[in-house]
Amino acid sequence: MSATDLTGKDYFTDLSLLLDPYEYFRQMYARGPVSPMGSADSLLVTGFAEAVEVLRNNRDFSSAIATTGAGQPLTFVPEGPDISTQLDAFYEQLGPMNLLVNYDGMPHARLRAIASQLFTPTRLKATHDFMHEFAAQLVRESVQKGGCEIVNEIATPFVTLVVAEILGVPPGDREKFRAVIDAAPPPGNMNRDDAREDSEPQMSPLEYMGLFFFEYLSDRRDNPRDDLLTQLALATYPDGELPDLLEMVKLSGFLFGAGQDTSAKLISNAMRRIAEDPVLQEQLRADYTLIPPMLEEVLRLEGSTKATWRIARRDTKIGDMEIPAGTRLTVALAAANRDPRRWENPEEFRIGRPRIQEHLGFGRGVHTCAGAPLARLEVAAILRHFLEQTTQISLNAEKHGPPGNRKLEYEPSYIIRGLANLHLELRA
Amino acid sequence: MPEVIVTTRSGEQQAIPFTPGTTLMQAITEGGIYELQALCGGVCSCATCHVHIDAGHSAELPTVSEDEDGLLAGSEHRSERSRLSCQIRLTDALDGLRVTIAAEDE
Repeated sequence: MSATDLTGKDYFTDLSLLLDPYEYFRQMYARGPVSPMGSADSLLVTGFAEAVEVLRNNRDFSSAIATTGAGQPLTFVPEGPDISTQLDAFYEQLGPMNLLVNYDGMPHARLRAIASQLFTPTRLKATHDFMHEFAAQLVRESVQKGGCEIVNEIATPFVTLVVAEILGVPPGDREKFRAVIDAAPPPGNMNRDDAREDSEPQMSPLEYMGLFFFEYLSDRRDNPRDDLLTQLALATYPDGELPDLLEMVKLSGFLFGAGQDTSAKLISNAMRRIAEDPVLQEQLRADYTLIPPMLEEVLRLEGSTKATWRIARRDTKIGDMEIPAGTRLTVALAAANRDPRRWENPEEFRIGRPRIQEHLGFGRGVHTCAGAPLARLEVAAILRHFLEQTTQISLNAEKHGPPGNRKLEYEPSYIIRGLANLHLELRA
Repeated sequence: MPEVIVTTRSGEQQAIPFTPGTTLMQAITEGGIYELQALCGGVCSCATCHVHIDAGHSAELPTVSEDEDGLLAGSEHRSERSRLSCQIRLTDALDGLRVTIAAEDE
């Protein structure tokens, strides 16, 4: 029996693609590494070489639509061989949602120069002790209870605390941020009903947190401390200019928000694999140095960002393929990470693949995730404590069904690959 | 426009114009030399943008930080002229800088 044809499905709204988006990507890849999406006005990039080419060509491919995607029509009709002027107007419309991840060219290079100094090896070394203490404590409490729901009870509070501690967000405000983030739809929300026209316009988490970050950063400019908020408050662009405070407010809120979902989902994606594979579990318990390479393979096979978006700023090419200005591209990182031309037996989970660090789990090029070094450390830390403190980790069959017939629920997002919940049984 | 002269691993030379304020890594990759992988995107956490600085210009270069030094220490191709190109921010004073892409680490 041949598999159901998924290629006509709407990637941006069809919830049936959430459980196994990889099958959709495989079928689209069979049509070509860059091919039109059936239902959206976008090309889908599923080939590894093609995705790398697009992500590295930030001159011709703009990041203006990096997070808004291509599920809705563009707000303008691209005209001519170069749409730079139209993109300038589009950036204006983005307003408070115009973030580092959307910037191009020199504005991006200037702000990225500041962001790229935040998670250096020295800074991260200083987080080691508190990160491990907190991880150990959270895991201990779960093991004592005999189990946990790792997504919301462990992973999310853990990454929130870590990033809040590094930034210097006061303890009293962290829960407020968490509550606002939890109450908001996920990034890349597929449930369009959530945006009902008759409802009151809600303040986005970024705008809410922005009010706090404005206070923190203003205070740090007058009263510097030893935290990242101070570094951000006092940072200057490469030419020595002090950035507008609002730019730093947006950057801090983005760093706080961006570090949440993706890292928390990565913890649970990794843990699902560990819980479902007793051999892997024993291998890791016997040798903790295998955790980082295992994590790289999780990032390849099930990284928490499925896709990112670009729009052709001018007439250009991918390989020999002509790409007219205004063409939108859905760059499927998750598909490129399983491209059989690049990865031998791509569906197989294999620790220690040659050149595994070239996966696109954190993107590539000038927009490569600046928080990746932090994400790698914090995920490895909590996994290590789970492995150290248990003799067996398994999925809770009452919640997820028996082995071979598991029921898993994924967040309704076209960006994020992440479980809505994951109930674990933990044996000390 | 100021420029840097880049020698690739195969020995080809290319003059790449740059805008002051960008990093050497950005200039090289935006100049289309993709053998410089720069996997971490310039956050000083890998050593895949490793270059050797040719003679001259050393006085105008920023000093090597402890983090950069630590990452370069892991490279089997480190020399006295090794730098991570993401850590060199280009200025007019660096016009004419000559660099060679370092051999890839296994």
